[in-house]
Amino acid sequence: MVDNTSNTDAPLSRRGFLSWMTVAWVFFAAAMGGFLTMCGRFLFPNVLFEPPSSFKAGFPDQYSPGAVSVDWKGKHRVWIVRTDDRIYAILARCTHLGCTPNWLPNESKFKCPCHGSGFRMSGINFEGPAPRPLERVRIGLAEDGQLLIDKSVTFRQEKGDWENPDSYLMT
Amino acid sequence: MAEEKKNKNPFKSVIWKSIFRVQVPQDRRGRMMQVLNNVFLHLHPVSIPKHAVKVKYTWCMGGLSFFVFLVLTVTGILLMFYYVPTTTRAYTDVIDLAETTPLGIMREIHRWGAHLMVITVWLHMFRVFMTGAYKPPREFNWAIGVILLTLTMLLSFTGYLLPWDQLAIWAITVGSNMAAATPLLGREGPGAALVSIGDINLVTPLSDAKYGLLGEREVRGGALLRFYVFHCIAFPVVIVVFMAVHFWRVRKDGGVSGPL
Amino acid sequence: MGESVKHLVNVFSSPTISFLTLFAIFFFIFPPTEWFAAINRRLGIYKLWTGKGGVFIFTVMITGHCLSLTDPNYRAIVLKPDNVPIVLLLFSTVFFLWLSMKQAYANDARLAQGLKPNEYEVPEKRKVLVWPDLVYTELIVMVLCMVGLLVWSIVLQAPLEEPADPSLTPNPSKAPWYFLALQEMLVYFDPWLAGVAFPTVIIVGLMAIPYIDTDRSTSGYFSFQNRKLFISLFLFGWLVLWVYMVIVGTFFRGPGWNFFGPFERWDPHKVAALNNVNLSEIIYVIALKQTLPDNVLVREIWGILLTSFYFMGIPPLLAKFRLKGFFERMGSMKYSWFMFLSLMALSLPIKMILRWSINLKYMIATPWFNI
Repeated sequence: MVDNTSNTDAPLSRRGFLSWMTVAWVFFAAAMGGFLTMCGRFLFPNVLFEPPSSFKAGFPDQYSPGAVSVDWKGKHRVWIVRTDDRIYAILARCTHLGCTPNWLPNESKFKCPCHGSGFRMSGINFEGPAPRPLERVRIGLAEDGQLLIDKSVTFRQEKGDWENPDSYLMT
Repeated sequence: MAEEKKNKNPFKSVIWKSIFRVQVPQDRRGRMMQVLNNVFLHLHPVSIPKHAVKVKYTWCMGGLSFFVFLVLTVTGILLMFYYVPTTTRAYTDVIDLAETTPLGIMREIHRWGAHLMVITVWLHMFRVFMTGAYKPPREFNWAIGVILLTLTMLLSFTGYLLPWDQLAIWAITVGSNMAAATPLLGREGPGAALVSIGDINLVTPLSDAKYGLLGEREVRGGALLRFYVFHCIAFPVVIVVFMAVHFWRVRKDGGVSGPL
Repeated sequence: MGESVKHLVNVFSSPTISFLTLFAIFFFIFPPTEWFAAINRRLGIYKLWTGKGGVFIFTVMITGHCLSLTDPNYRAIVLKPDNVPIVLLLFSTVFFLWLSMKQAYANDARLAQGLKPNEYEVPEKRKVLVWPDLVYTELIVMVLCMVGLLVWSIVLQAPLEEPADPSLTPNPSKAPWYFLALQEMLVYFDPWLAGVAFPTVIIVGLMAIPYIDTDRSTSGYFSFQNRKLFISLFLFGWLVLWVYMVIVGTFFRGPGWNFFGPFERWDPHKVAALNNVNLSEIIYVIALKQTLPDNVLVREIWGILLTSFYFMGIPPLLAKFRLKGFFERMGSMKYSWFMFLSLMALSLPIKMILRWSINLKYMIATPWFNI
């Protein structure tokens, strides 16, 4: 009797068994892969709670030509540089590994304390390991005539961004 | 009188005997049983080659690394009772540890112990190399040892951020910017621009390796909490698993190494 | 007298001089081949690994250290609490190096006489019981270690600097000391190489050692003569490229990541000219007196050729001529891994020397990656 009942079903052939195993393994691998992807994705939050990226930086007249202002470095990590004909804002973040360089007025350069990169007043790198110039950020005029700096928009010299009219202010 | 004196021997008193089921072993069989029947001692084999008990040969560095790890676990747990990993509290909590807690050297033991563990792990690797103890059949255990070495340094590195002082934040800034330079996966790394669909770049400051490591764009409160969790839970759990495999393989691969 | 000696030490410990000297003498102290070993024997360097040699090494180290402590600049840097572990590391590394080499040479002498190594026991007598022999040793060592750690913790307070301030980077700003070798590499290589590629190669390379060096006859006892190539290369990586770099990074790198000798004051205004140029500029602008070609591939072709020759040309050439026997003994797989790891390790000193001699910044500089 027992033999009869088991013989009524077609025996699972070797090939059939293997193909079922393959399907099972593929599903298992897909499930595991999906789960691990979700775990990995969990490490990347969707929303950030960061301080606002733009600020007002006073009136253009308070910056003297040919000088680098370090007034906003402490609070906003930005230098404001005025040359003879334009004003621009440089992000105080070394392009090597993200340290905050210092402005050395006597040597007229930005010098990074971490690995010794040096940048000219324009932000162009000339010594040390930094691979590219410092980044500039968007600068414009607010309605009250003050400078308006927006750090969320950056301009890179090697991409030709410094010619972008948002990256400087004519005086 | 003589009998009374004998009873004063604490090892033979009724109370001692009632607590400890086993006497201090006096014969060879008892000593073997001492190791076999003890859950902690059974990490060891019952007997080992003569040269393996000589400090001159082993330098004790592997055992010391494990011991310092235990010290770090205990002191670390104690420190967790007082320390809150937020940007407003972390720094002041660390100051308070020295000034307002009894026995104010807990943080010192933890910090100097961490330095010591890096040194003992290095020296352990050095000894194993110099005695050629990594050779077959112990190749894979050497590889596990390298993983343990890496985890030791990662544990120490993640702990570095927790005091939230200048030393901490800048060491981690430099370290996490290296993650941003990972090929393909970091925003500053080579080939990052290649990972894109059409015009949409997939590796941006909000999706690259550094962001995944810190949970934010720069080292701030989110990174502090994340490193705290790595330091106190994630890496210790992983290192304990690898340590268990490491010790087990020492036994299974033929015990401590020796000449053939 | 004292001042001039100090000045001499300052000059000598600059990375250019001290590294090149170390690089030059290292392979005579730890000879990788018979040729080096012969010179080692003729000069009697192996005598360092005897009792008298040890006394000599430690007398020099301890007297030098104690005399130097009279100098305020040396004291300031060595006694900084966070630097104490590196002093500990330095002394313990030298001690254990001496201890292992002494035992290795003693065993080599025994093997040369046809005896078994010191660690060998006749099988019937070789076993001792773990309880009490090993357990008691462990207990004593643990107690000593804990006492040492407690004394250390009572004597030295754990350092704590100013609260974190993202807008002000301290000068100098250093990684944890055990990563300072990587930070030192960052001076010479781009972050993706020094921070990501090199650590990966180091970890994979360490794991690969037992699969490359599979000779079981030298397993389980201190020895040098029969495995000198592997020991020499490992010690080069470990002592010169790691421990030495850690020491340079800790003690000799000051403000602006400038170099300072051990008796020099850390002057934040020290200026060091660092005008680095790429290989393409050296070839086209300086040597050929032309302007740089616009096409990146044409511009960088020399660097690409040189780098590919270094990794893909040198190993087969050596296998064909200089290392023929070694190649045949190892087989092509192990040989390729061995060469890849050795060449990676050697690329650091090569780049350092190129930086110092011709101010080389990058071999290959493209908008996408730099080498």
